[in-house]
Amino acid sequence: MELLTRTEKWNITYQHALGEVASWFFTQLRDNAKIYGRRCAKSGRVLVPPRAFSDQTLEPTKEWVEVGPGGKIEAFTIVYEPFQNLPDPPYAFGYVTLDGADTAIGGFFKGVDLSDPAKAAQQLRIGRRVATRFAEKRTGDVLDFWFEPVDR
Amino acid sequence: MTNTKADSVGTKRVTCGVIACKSITPIDATKRSLEETLYDLTQAVLADGDITIDDIDGIVVAANDQLDGRAISVMAASGSVGGVNRDILSTPSSGEHAFVLGALRIASGYFRTQLVVAWSPTEAENIPEALRLAADPYFHRRLPLDEWSAHALQAARLEFVAPDAAEAARHVVAKNRKHGRQAFPDLPVASSDGAPFRWPLTRDMIALPSGGAVALVLASDAFIAERKIANPAWIRGMGWAAEPGFLGDRDLASAPGLAAATEQAYREAGITNARKSISLAEVTDATPHQELLAWEYLGLCERSKWRREAAAGTFAAGGALPINLSGGALTFNPVFASGLFRIAEAANQVRGQSGNRQAKDVDLAVAHAASGPAMQYNTVVVLGRSRGAPQ
Amino acid sequence: MSQRVGIIGIGQSAFKSRRDDASYPDLVREAVSQALTDAGLELEQIEAVVYSLSPDAMVGIGNAERLGVDAVGARNKRFLRINTGGSTGISSVAAAFYHVAAGACDVVLTAGADKVGECGDSQSVLNKIWDPTYERALPLGTINMLAMSAVRYMHKYTMDETDMARVVVKNRSHAARNPKAHLRKQTTIDEVMGSRYISWPVKLFDCCPQSSGGCAMVLASESYIKEHGLNAVWITGVGHCSESYYLGDRMGDNVEADHADAFALAHSFKRSFAMAGIDKPDKQVHVAELYAPFSNTEFHAIEAAGLAKLGESPARLRAGEFTIGGKTPVNPSGGVLCTNAIAVTAMVRVAEAALQVWGRAGDHQVKGAKIGIASGNGGDHQFFGTMVVEA
Repeated sequence: MELLTRTEKWNITYQHALGEVASWFFTQLRDNAKIYGRRCAKSGRVLVPPRAFSDQTLEPTKEWVEVGPGGKIEAFTIVYEPFQNLPDPPYAFGYVTLDGADTAIGGFFKGVDLSDPAKAAQQLRIGRRVATRFAEKRTGDVLDFWFEPVDR
Repeated sequence: MTNTKADSVGTKRVTCGVIACKSITPIDATKRSLEETLYDLTQAVLADGDITIDDIDGIVVAANDQLDGRAISVMAASGSVGGVNRDILSTPSSGEHAFVLGALRIASGYFRTQLVVAWSPTEAENIPEALRLAADPYFHRRLPLDEWSAHALQAARLEFVAPDAAEAARHVVAKNRKHGRQAFPDLPVASSDGAPFRWPLTRDMIALPSGGAVALVLASDAFIAERKIANPAWIRGMGWAAEPGFLGDRDLASAPGLAAATEQAYREAGITNARKSISLAEVTDATPHQELLAWEYLGLCERSKWRREAAAGTFAAGGALPINLSGGALTFNPVFASGLFRIAEAANQVRGQSGNRQAKDVDLAVAHAASGPAMQYNTVVVLGRSRGAPQ
Repeated sequence: MSQRVGIIGIGQSAFKSRRDDASYPDLVREAVSQALTDAGLELEQIEAVVYSLSPDAMVGIGNAERLGVDAVGARNKRFLRINTGGSTGISSVAAAFYHVAAGACDVVLTAGADKVGECGDSQSVLNKIWDPTYERALPLGTINMLAMSAVRYMHKYTMDETDMARVVVKNRSHAARNPKAHLRKQTTIDEVMGSRYISWPVKLFDCCPQSSGGCAMVLASESYIKEHGLNAVWITGVGHCSESYYLGDRMGDNVEADHADAFALAHSFKRSFAMAGIDKPDKQVHVAELYAPFSNTEFHAIEAAGLAKLGESPARLRAGEFTIGGKTPVNPSGGVLCTNAIAVTAMVRVAEAALQVWGRAGDHQVKGAKIGIASGNGGDHQFFGTMVVEA
């Protein structure tokens, strides 16, 4: 018996409010190539990316703290598989604790030869120091920056 | 917080009550992100109940992925409502289902409190399109079958079967809009444009979507006694039921799911004559026709009397049994959160916390929350100032 | 209120990549029919339904549970849906548990299905679970998120890719004995190591499949079970806990909830163990069905369940402890690594643990199992549900 299928695509556009905190973060990134975190009033932790409140203490965050541009790798992976609507492989990305921050922020890793996975994993090992690099033309987006390993 | 049976006294059924209620009407999407808004709301509802997040044993939230633009709407929001290190569940079928599950969790004896939150942003550029994605791709997706169309089909069917419905509906719109001007004087005035919207609905018969969020805190009788909370709204009865997904499988001029939910709720509450026992109601009026169905199935007004009672103002402010003193969804329409709003409004009436829309001497109130196309889901909650007879 | 909640019926599809012969509601109905037959009940006897469904986008229908109302026989009955991402299935069983424990119902059905294979690209749907403010722009998906967990685990403890491969070998050998599992072909460490990298260090064979199929369970109160002389196993522990949504908050030195581990899962287990009266899980638990969609994640799940100390499980796996015939078999069904129909995968964990303590697990039976545990993970490794089931 003939089994039929139906093709459907979802296509909805959203305008997501970023709020004051994220908006300020992205304008600093876009206009000044600087990254900031917010300090939780109760615990003193500097949250990066910044938020208006800490989800651990439920207290509002109080001050802006400039962080980076140096940092260390907390986690990484190297993607070799293509996925729809995601970049062409191979690419490496993960999380970096920028100097002065208490939490890690996500970003791409560049400047590493990814052809040999084991060698690349060594280059991107946890604890490795990185520097933040900024795009020349920035739009106020997390893709305005990326990380490159530096030698100590 | 332990997971052992808490505070149950022998085999007495654990009752629970609403001890705090707060809402955001409407969400201001300029200064705060959705997650920040929910944080503000959570802080506000905790303050309303004079409790802290450490008093919360568990959380149930509800939102719609397609409206939120997030594939699992509870994720980023969970931090805002205190979900970190806590027990948090999500019922995306409707906001009122979060209330139902919260109440069941307390009644189980394993929780003393539950925070219940539902929200509905207006970040999708085309909300009807977002909701139209609920039409099944097998048979109906090629039709303009969003929730408005489904409600319109229901209204058309009802007017055909009950010719008085059209005139009664116009009275319902006038009543709820008048209530709404009193309850929410700062909201932009809803359209009075009689232009066609989705036949037979005209533009003035609906309210366009607004962003809204609402939170309640439920607590067990033991918690309420221990904290000496003076004015809980006790849950005296609760019922909920669903109807089938295909509109063509349903009789849109009737509401058997609402009948089943009402039967459960009234049986638990010991209500045999709703008109006599109930002081006030908050019902879902995505269209005025839905309110009429609620009048009928909640046992408040037979179909043959709709026109008469609507014209007489029985259910208007100052009448025998006010319905939708909040102005209903005809005044403020936070789409997905609309149903839970009705429960919150009724609870606040019982608690004496309704401010500019407070009715006098609200002893027993009924909340009717409906969601989905043409009231596919119905939930009925009877709330009372007293705990009622022991079970 | 002191009565227990039992499982009286289980239904589970033979999971496959695609089920072109059945629509999504058909798959749900298939599992429901099996569960009812198993329980010896008709649909009419079900008083309430908890519907298990994770992101709508996977099934391609907004609020898809609405189409499932008839599939679960919920016309005019109590019905609500749960979504906690990957842990949806176990959260649904928990919600059903609360319906019965609350005294609201005697007999509750929980059911769901998934057709992940039809989605087209589950990773791009799963990319949208991250918030649009910060993390959506990154190519995050569940695979690479958990690959990062492997990287941190390797850094903190001793684990390499052959340890991960050993998990796959074990689970496939178990699945070979389970006619319901999707991937049943045995494999070797060399074969796993030779499969292509998806997201370093996770390779193709380290990943779960995309499965289609359904699962359903019938729960009942102890009094109902005794009154009708039914055969049952008992849910004696239920717990949930969740972590911060922000992945980067689970990193750094000395952070309590490290992304290498499963801190909130451990917390969730503490809650269910406390309820069940288990204080030495490594001695008292006979069998474990732990949610682990990628080989490396089985290690931190085993440790969170208290079956090994942090960092110890790779060595204990090498020693054969977690294989059928070993000290505490983990995932005797083959686990999520061999079958992943997202909406019900965590329910299948409970179902399989129940079948084990019931003595009905056929060729993959763990001899003498009387106390079993199950877990589910959802969101970005954020929501964790756990359960203890006993004979």
